[in-house]
Amino acid sequence: MQDKKPDINGLASSARNGVAMDNRIRSSRSFTDEEFERYSRQMIVPGMGKEGQLRLINSRLLIVGAGGLGCPAAQYIAGAGVGTIGIVDGDVVELSNLHRQVGHATSRIGMKKVDSLITHLRGLNPLPTYVPHDSHIDPQNAADIISQYDVVVDCTDNPATRYLISDVCVLLCKPLVSAASVQKSGQLIVLNCPPTPQGLLDRKYAPCYRCCFKKPPPAGAMLSCGEAGIMGPVVGMMGVAQAGEAIKIIASALHLPPSDPDSAPERNLQQPTLLLCSYDLESAVGPYTFRALKMASRKKTCFACGENSTLTLDGIKAGNPNYEQFCGLAATHSNLPPEERITAAAYHAARSRGELPEHVLLDTREKEHFSFGKIDGAVNVPFGKLLMTAAAVKRGGASTDQILGSAELQPLPEDAPIFVVCRRGLDSQEAVEKLKELGMGNGGKRKIMDIVGGMKAWKEEVDHSFPFI
Amino acid sequence: MTSHPPAAAAQSGSSGKFTILYFASAGSYTGKQMETLPAPLPLSKLFATLEARYEGIGAAVLDHSLVTVNLTYVEMPSGNDESEDAAAAVIIQDGDEVAIIPPVSSG
Repeated sequence: MQDKKPDINGLASSARNGVAMDNRIRSSRSFTDEEFERYSRQMIVPGMGKEGQLRLINSRLLIVGAGGLGCPAAQYIAGAGVGTIGIVDGDVVELSNLHRQVGHATSRIGMKKVDSLITHLRGLNPLPTYVPHDSHIDPQNAADIISQYDVVVDCTDNPATRYLISDVCVLLCKPLVSAASVQKSGQLIVLNCPPTPQGLLDRKYAPCYRCCFKKPPPAGAMLSCGEAGIMGPVVGMMGVAQAGEAIKIIASALHLPPSDPDSAPERNLQQPTLLLCSYDLESAVGPYTFRALKMASRKKTCFACGENSTLTLDGIKAGNPNYEQFCGLAATHSNLPPEERITAAAYHAARSRGELPEHVLLDTREKEHFSFGKIDGAVNVPFGKLLMTAAAVKRGGASTDQILGSAELQPLPEDAPIFVVCRRGLDSQEAVEKLKELGMGNGGKRKIMDIVGGMKAWKEEVDHSFPFI
Repeated sequence: MTSHPPAAAAQSGSSGKFTILYFASAGSYTGKQMETLPAPLPLSKLFATLEARYEGIGAAVLDHSLVTVNLTYVEMPSGNDESEDAAAAVIIQDGDEVAIIPPVSSG
């Protein structure tokens, strides 16, 4: 399907004969009255002009993800008049999306996100052609979808998909505008722009996602918006900034191969930047900050775009690399023996029968989650704080008592069991391991138990009205 | 190596400190958004210094994060990259601003 190293000269000449000719014909086209009026305020901006607007109208752009980033990005991309806008998403609109996913509506809850967002975009601008792709992007369909477009905007929500999209963009020579956001911070970076064939290293070229983030964080460390929360304006700013970058790329012809006479060679070697945004919610007077970080160019050793890369489109389709495994999504197994685990239902039953001795119930969720509801008597020690105290204990800077948080618990009989519960049952297992490691099991006198499945299981098995969040 | 410009944000005078910023999961792990640490410090000792302060931060955060000094990406001197030698020579100076930037994935 695709040679390992595309011949840049072949690529160049086909671009020259095809795209360039095409562009000459297209750029002689005049605007309709509606286009002229609709785009007038943006066309008179220095650097845009008639040429820039025609490039937008003649281009095809793909937005992957119709959520917190995709909605604001799509609004401005549609408004600017990009001719063909593809949107990929397999989800449906949910109530908990609406505080940030501004392209959907309360009246469209339950509708496919692609259809809901396109409905909204048509209201803003009916002129572009909107193409819905109503399933999630995956290794099987990624190349087929991405190959239909000139520029890709990554608005997805998980690491496996981010690596997949970046890899396919490298192989298909597509610029990628990538952003991400969680809680109170966001990141934006333009990758593989101007697009450069895989393996080319004769000068400085733009990096791909793997050049910047060589390996993903451990599966448990990666927070999703559903788990960690997200502020609407933060993800919104990042999405809007993505639209700005995409419009800039197309209007200045940076998406065209460097060989194309219509491309912008003087901009080709600009050092890429990573835009970082973060804002402080804990302190009302704390500033929010934007930082533009200078990034390095393409890495010689990069797995995807580097010198000896073996990455191919056929390989990706066949499951090589395995993105899920690379990002550790399959790893949700427990290392704890069964006798150190108890289901939420069994814990509740034993407790209500009065069979449990005096014990500590440690809830390792964040205090915001804890504030909405807890099991009676639970003590809140957020997981991060627990790990830090554990580290301090190891250094000799704290006592094991301090791990259990509040002082009124002390002294605890040395055989009083500790039960640990978290949100969904992963952190609690690690917490049990940590406590055992610190010798808090008192040589087997004390049981340290994980409540399987966390508060989610508590809601499902014990208290259906529990405000799980 | 002091080719990077001095950080405008960090006006710590000549107190022998650099500022370190913890973004996203680095902030959750350390429980703070920033702090100051003693300078000068060779870049090659940065991760070990942080590991000593926040046990486990290496595997949980640093291994997959990118690092900047004064708003410029620096290669950490631990991989097999070509810039290894240059990276090994970088010294974090008094008044520098270092940032730990883990990837964020949600959207």
